[in-house]
Amino acid sequence: MMARPYVLKKDDDHDDEAEYSPFLGMEKGTVLQEARVFNDPQLDARRCAQVITKLLYLLNQGETFTKVEATEVFFAVTKLFQSKDTTLRRMVYLMIKELSPSPDEVIIVTSSLMKDMNSKIDMYRANAIRVLSKITDGTLLTQIERYLKQAIVDKNPVVASAALVSGIHLLQTNPEIVKRWSNEVQEGVQSRAALVQFHALALLHQLRQNDRLAVSKLVTSLTKGSVQSPLAQCLLIRYTSQVIHESSMNSQTGERPFFDYLESCLQHKAELVIFEAARAITELSSVTSQELSPAITVLQLFLSSSKPILRFAAVRTLNKVAITHPLSVTNCNIDMESLISDQNRSIATLAITTLLKTGNESSVDRMMKQITNFMSDIADEFKIVVVEAIRSLCLKFPLKYRSLMNFLSNILREEGGFEYKKAIVDSIVILIRDIPDAKESGLFHLCEFIEDCEFTYLSTQILHFIGNEGPKTTDPSKYIRYIYNRVILENATVRASAVSTLAKFGAMVDSLKPRILVLLRRCLFDIDDEEASDIPFDIYSVPKEIKPQPLAEKKVPGRKFTGLGGPPSAPVSAVAYEKLLSLIPEFSSFGKLFKSSRPVELSEAETEYAVNVVKHIYDGHVVFQYNCTNTISEQLLENVTVFVDASEAEDFSEVASKPLRSLPYDSPGQTFVAFEKPYGLPATGRFSNLLKFFVKEVDPATVEAEEEGVEDEYQLEDLEIVPADYMLKVGVSNFKNAWESMGPDNERVDEYGLGARESLAEAVCAVIDILGMQPCEGTEVVPSNSRSHACLLSGIFISNVKVLVRLSFGIDESKQVAMKLAVRSKDPNISERIHEIVAEA
Amino acid sequence: MLLAVLFTNTEGNILVERFQGVPTEERLHWRSFLVKLGADNLRRAKNEELFVASHKSVYIVYTMLGDVSIYVVGKDEYDELTLSEVIYVITSSVKDACGKPPTERLFLDKYGKICLCLDEVVWKGLLENTDKSRIRRLTRLKPPTDV
Repeated sequence: MMARPYVLKKDDDHDDEAEYSPFLGMEKGTVLQEARVFNDPQLDARRCAQVITKLLYLLNQGETFTKVEATEVFFAVTKLFQSKDTTLRRMVYLMIKELSPSPDEVIIVTSSLMKDMNSKIDMYRANAIRVLSKITDGTLLTQIERYLKQAIVDKNPVVASAALVSGIHLLQTNPEIVKRWSNEVQEGVQSRAALVQFHALALLHQLRQNDRLAVSKLVTSLTKGSVQSPLAQCLLIRYTSQVIHESSMNSQTGERPFFDYLESCLQHKAELVIFEAARAITELSSVTSQELSPAITVLQLFLSSSKPILRFAAVRTLNKVAITHPLSVTNCNIDMESLISDQNRSIATLAITTLLKTGNESSVDRMMKQITNFMSDIADEFKIVVVEAIRSLCLKFPLKYRSLMNFLSNILREEGGFEYKKAIVDSIVILIRDIPDAKESGLFHLCEFIEDCEFTYLSTQILHFIGNEGPKTTDPSKYIRYIYNRVILENATVRASAVSTLAKFGAMVDSLKPRILVLLRRCLFDIDDEEASDIPFDIYSVPKEIKPQPLAEKKVPGRKFTGLGGPPSAPVSAVAYEKLLSLIPEFSSFGKLFKSSRPVELSEAETEYAVNVVKHIYDGHVVFQYNCTNTISEQLLENVTVFVDASEAEDFSEVASKPLRSLPYDSPGQTFVAFEKPYGLPATGRFSNLLKFFVKEVDPATVEAEEEGVEDEYQLEDLEIVPADYMLKVGVSNFKNAWESMGPDNERVDEYGLGARESLAEAVCAVIDILGMQPCEGTEVVPSNSRSHACLLSGIFISNVKVLVRLSFGIDESKQVAMKLAVRSKDPNISERIHEIVAEA
Repeated sequence: MLLAVLFTNTEGNILVERFQGVPTEERLHWRSFLVKLGADNLRRAKNEELFVASHKSVYIVYTMLGDVSIYVVGKDEYDELTLSEVIYVITSSVKDACGKPPTERLFLDKYGKICLCLDEVVWKGLLENTDKSRIRRLTRLKPPTDV
């Protein structure tokens, strides 16, 4: 988007002459050359101003100056202080701010700016103040402090505003200096110039915001007096709300101070002020309907304003009020219904969702008709908001489930992206769970959806859900057709999921078992091993009583609802690994497999011998499974082993290995090495690997290998066992519930400095990777521009200990990140261990 | 805080931009986002017709002035109504500097003046001056007449 050469197109609608940009073909080098005119003894003010304009244009196009270039330009610009031309001087002020000189360069221009700061010309003083404040550091600031203090009470409002706004900015970096200007700033608040009052009020509040009594006094004096500027009024309303909020926490009488002032602002002539007051009233804690009434009246008027800003502001505020006081907003329903067809889709969506909150049971059907037409006009992100509102409405009026469920089912059939469809499916699932009467129709809608669902994830999740709920219905057999169709028609992942679902029906419904066995036997002929390997597991090892899913939380009324929750508890690949390892006698005594990692490449791409390793973690052992592929057609490898050097992994000792007898061309095979480690402890270490084998030449014509082989070896990459390897990523559907039920007895909390990071998102990602835990409730996503973020993680640690983690991050202007880590588990040692993992990382 | 002020032409090229409190790596995202917003909504917009959008707790107000699109982005105290005041000040000053709602060529001809106006209106994320006559005088280093 930036730094594209900018050219105006020839436009036939303009005059006959072709029009070109005045900056056409401009290059940085040329402009920097032109900037040498700044050094001329006889300055051409107009020419210099033109060159500065070009430099500004370059900077706005994303062009950057090297340090040397920036320094040269800066020094050259400072020479322009010699000129008395006012236009040029004004450009010079702007240019210095744009160049942002370094502290050792600032000294060059300080004396010129300080001279301007004492100038008789008011505008020189104002601009010099602004420039100095931008480029100054603490030491220079103490030198110019008295000038700034004087400037605050200058009779020229431009000078005063410049000093006050400078103060607001300097308060971030040099608060102790700015705090000494309190008296002058107080005087500024009494100024008759509207903007000076505005700026002074903003600065004074910032100076006193930690002193409740001072803020209260400020508000008391100003609400009695006259505040000119609407902007200053808005600030005052906000500070008043703050005081009301703080006093309501202490007050016993329940009377709200300053409420009369807020009400009086509802009659102000500026819409800005009216809206600010209305919003402040609606946001008061424990606000009553009586208090809300005048505010809602003015917001209702704004709903029919010709200005979209006002309509948006009003409907946004009413939307929030409708959450806690839906009855107070019902008077606005007619105005809001007309906003459904508003051109601005944000306004229309807010209107719809507000109506869904305030509507009564009798209006549900009418609303659904209106919304049906509306849905096709809006983008997916708005549709998701509407879907969630419909879900809440259905839970509020459960008797209306039929029409609302039909609506959801209809929109599920329409075009839409993954997130949108997922939101609808999640809503249907929640309604099925919470409204018993809706179960059969809900399951039926989901079955119809998976007949034509393009998202594998959703199909598998729905099949899993049907497997849990379908057997409990009055006639489970009617779902079998839908499930078995998935076995025939879908991709391998969905087929595998459908097979598992069929097995659940078979295990839970005795009457269906024989027929399901017939169907499952057919699945054995499936060409994909993934699905076929499921069958023995499902038929023979699923007991009659189905154990509850791990971490499935009980629903608590009033809590945030989730949809389908996590994937099935035993992933297919984990089962396959467990079966594979159990067939090797050397490892059969290791017990239950805790976790298998993803394959980690130990060789580069396009190499002779491609090797990756899977780390299998047991309570007292670790097994490395090396998957090897020979890519040389003229070679046969025999007796393939991996020599593992564990000198950097002192807690581990090798106990067994299983070589690979033969590794022909392009036919992958496995070799294993097993280590013993301290039982139940998350030992870490680094292992270097050397592939050793006998290589025999293969005659390409006869494809026969020679008798004699030659011993050879091939160095592989090192591999590490890290703490995250001992953590299973298992999510929880309701983190708050799980956290509270865990109890604080074994909680450990500590704070850490993570140093300077690229961004908050990067820091959050890094910590999640170190811990290897599952982010919950979407908290791994860090909104842009965030200065703080909270992240919820869950997992199961080695020895089957459930662990929950609450992370709080904060980032300051210099990108230093601080983190607070709270860990809860059933074992205090594990909570400590999690902290050690973070501390050592 | 006022997070950003952007001027673009009808094709989405940035003409002037001011960011405050937005890390460099996020600015690319903001530019693309705002240009797309304008491309979706400003095509048939009337001159100075105001549009509003919000994304989480950030508000955006934007408009068309002649051939130039103007976007202001704010958060916290700079909500949609305050931003509408800000954009009104900006459009008045630009019209004043150019003499009329500008074509692209006129905007570029008055580029330096417009940069100075913007410098008087918004400084490091805070609103400074709101009157176009005052702003016009300040860009020429003349004292305001409404003292």
